[in-house]
Amino acid sequence: MTGMTRTSGDRTSGAAPVTGPFISTWSAVSAFGVGRESFSAGLRDRKPVVTALDPDQWSAPATEACLVPGGDPRELLGRKGTRSMDRATGLAVAAVGQLLDDGTGTRIPGVDESTALVLGTSNGSVRSIMSFTRDALTEDKPYHVDPARFPNTVMNCAAGQSAIRHGLRGPNVTIAGGRASALLALNHAQRLQRSGHARSVVCGAVEEFSAERAWLDWHAHTEQGRAPLTGEGSAVLLLEADAPRGGAALAELAAVEIGLPHTESEVTPVLADCVRRALARAGLDADRVWAVAPADLPGTLGTAERHALDEALGGRTPRGPLCTELLGDTGAVSAAFQITALLSAAESDPESAGRAGVVTTVDREGVVGCALLRFPGPEQGRR
Amino acid sequence: MTSPSIDTDLESKVKDIVTDILEIEPEDMTLTSRFKEDHDADSLLAIEILASLEKTFKITIAQEQLVHMVNLQGVCEVVAEAAARRQ
Amino acid sequence: MTLSDMSSPRRVVITGLGAVTSIGTGVAEFLGGLRAGRSGAKPVTSFDVTGFEHAQGCEIDDFDAAAYVHNLPLREYGRASHFAAAAARMAVEDAGLPAEDLRQARSLVTVGTTDGESRDLDRLVQQEVAHGPERMDPVVARRVPAGRLSVAAARELGLVNVEAVTLPTACAAGNYAIGYGYDAVRTGEVEFALCGGADAVCLKTFAGFYRLGTIAPERCQPFDRHRKGILTGEGAGILLLESLESALARGATIHAEVLGYGLNCDADHPVAPNEDSFARCVRLAHDNAGIAADDVDLISAHGTGTKANDVSEARAIRQVFGDKTPRTVSIKSMIGHTMGAASAIAAIACTLAIREGFIPPTINHVETDPECDIDCVPNEAVEADLRVVQNNALAFGGNNAVLMLGRYDTGGPTGPAGGQR
Repeated sequence: MTGMTRTSGDRTSGAAPVTGPFISTWSAVSAFGVGRESFSAGLRDRKPVVTALDPDQWSAPATEACLVPGGDPRELLGRKGTRSMDRATGLAVAAVGQLLDDGTGTRIPGVDESTALVLGTSNGSVRSIMSFTRDALTEDKPYHVDPARFPNTVMNCAAGQSAIRHGLRGPNVTIAGGRASALLALNHAQRLQRSGHARSVVCGAVEEFSAERAWLDWHAHTEQGRAPLTGEGSAVLLLEADAPRGGAALAELAAVEIGLPHTESEVTPVLADCVRRALARAGLDADRVWAVAPADLPGTLGTAERHALDEALGGRTPRGPLCTELLGDTGAVSAAFQITALLSAAESDPESAGRAGVVTTVDREGVVGCALLRFPGPEQGRR
Repeated sequence: MTSPSIDTDLESKVKDIVTDILEIEPEDMTLTSRFKEDHDADSLLAIEILASLEKTFKITIAQEQLVHMVNLQGVCEVVAEAAARRQ
Repeated sequence: MTLSDMSSPRRVVITGLGAVTSIGTGVAEFLGGLRAGRSGAKPVTSFDVTGFEHAQGCEIDDFDAAAYVHNLPLREYGRASHFAAAAARMAVEDAGLPAEDLRQARSLVTVGTTDGESRDLDRLVQQEVAHGPERMDPVVARRVPAGRLSVAAARELGLVNVEAVTLPTACAAGNYAIGYGYDAVRTGEVEFALCGGADAVCLKTFAGFYRLGTIAPERCQPFDRHRKGILTGEGAGILLLESLESALARGATIHAEVLGYGLNCDADHPVAPNEDSFARCVRLAHDNAGIAADDVDLISAHGTGTKANDVSEARAIRQVFGDKTPRTVSIKSMIGHTMGAASAIAAIACTLAIREGFIPPTINHVETDPECDIDCVPNEAVEADLRVVQNNALAFGGNNAVLMLGRYDTGGPTGPAGGQR
């Protein structure tokens, strides 16, 4: 494990009964590359990935971004069926494909035809939406738009295409919650399970880089000052309602808590309350927390998040891994990357055994939240 | 319907558009091979073909013409007719 | 943990309704429109229609957000958010629920949508085309994220201890949102759920459907032999859900009960419906609600008025109901296709139909398509005693959602939780 501060503590006391749901595997398509190994390696090396933007391809208000290498759908997925596919959809389809394949071309256990897919997004592909309108405004006729790209302008496109390409016929849900999307998606996933709509859920988020998104951010958040580079990617995990069919769980999803501060000064108390509620729900004391993966935004929202964690965890906040400084502002997929980063770090750190990880986020539109993961104790074994 | 003459230039342009949209090799398509039955086309792809032809040839094709646009020959006839109407 | 492990999941009832539609804003006005078979169709004015050969739609031209929305800084939110906040405010007032009681409780606000604030994106693209990307209006740019639709509704009501989540599951989003609210209340995770959908007419979606050849030139005629497609519409529908215990304890008027819902995905085609898959979704909804097909008294169809949807949907219904197919209506004939709001507004129509004992008509109907072969209650509303109503929704991406609503009788439990059905 690198870059992670740890708190020591008794490994066995205070453990609450394990009730699930369980995270059995995950995948990520990020600026570090395609797949779980490259994501883990990237986190280990802690080298920020910065791509110089080709001005012929992207007329963005920046010269650099954190792009997925080979992130174009045709490069990621091949030519067949990708002619009209947008980048967000390609990233999601690739991440789901990575997740479902056990590495030998065989589908992983725990997934069947009724497996659900819950995918977070900030706004689908704003590039697809805006390009479509641009055609309507600038072509000879306002209806000289590309019909094949019309589905891309609807925000559930990535989830729908992922289902089509991977044969997932269970509930297919898209969540729009900005940086909180992945946490809202996890909560949605576990509710589907509790109410018997699905046993296993592929759950995560996607965000694409585009000049359009970069311009919107540039206009909307001029006050942020030291803005991180724009990032992108997709990360998904498999959430199983009961004992994972493939063997051991990587972690138990112990709690998700969401709140909505109305002013910036309310961010700290409302988020701290979310973390305390999550710990209470899981029956855990703050000293059972092994690591925290915060959203870590620059500026006042990041400060408010740190204060909330200090308040809820008694000032012993063990911070890390920090994704934003490595992968940029990955928007809707940020919290999903925080989760996969935590899972990745826990796999290589025996200190995590029997303890918990906290993921927090603060979305600019208002929603704050946290997820609490509990890692299996040494007696429960790991993969 | 009197079939307007279809020149080979038009045919090859149309064929390029259609085979690109249907993601098939040009040599796999004949004048009479059927888009839906032989090349896995569906209604969205059919409209994509129509839309692309309208933009490329600066013509207007009524949706009702889709029933004739089942193979390369049918499409070429519809395009030639629409082009003739425009002139 | 699944529901079967829970000792007593709660029954979930609808106690508040808020509707913003082209045939009436406010539940009383909307009800009047449904009973009268009013049409919201008129020429589109929200964007320049030059170049389209026809541009009829169902816009709300007299909506004054400030008349309903008291706390939200309106300028910072787009039109769909205004609709959502207004409908949420109406639903809470309709429920007679004191704002402070709502604020004190744990709640869920979930708003479904197809386009979010794409109306604002249209405007930003206009500015970009005219003046370059550096000249887009930052106030409008800040309104874009779709998550704001649910945040707007929650902020208008001053909710902090709330999960505010937007579900952009396209044209089935309203049912998704209500289903999510139902689950959250049923398991006891929240006390109140405000759920539904909102969308505003935009050029992007009009141009897209027009290109597909699915925009009707004049009127929307679901299940008619000569139907020509959809009319794009706009609006919002928000329902307030709470547990039966909660509603009884505070003496609330119970409009109807949510019995359950089903979700699935065709995983087949991005835009074309799949009748077998949709039939499977209907069966999932029946199972989830604990009812049999025979129990269903009315179907509120997705019924867009396109050739493809109506025949596929009717066949799917036939697959499930056979010769005992209940009457099947489409309120899109009146209010057009309100996209993500459509199934939420339709759920309100179903609730009103159950409560008031009538079936809203399918207007503009001349001759039923023999390929559809259903009784769509043409043109005139009829009186009817309704106990169980099914609300259909299908969306791009093969996203299907079917919601089951039932009458709540004060004489005793009638829902599946009461064990009589």
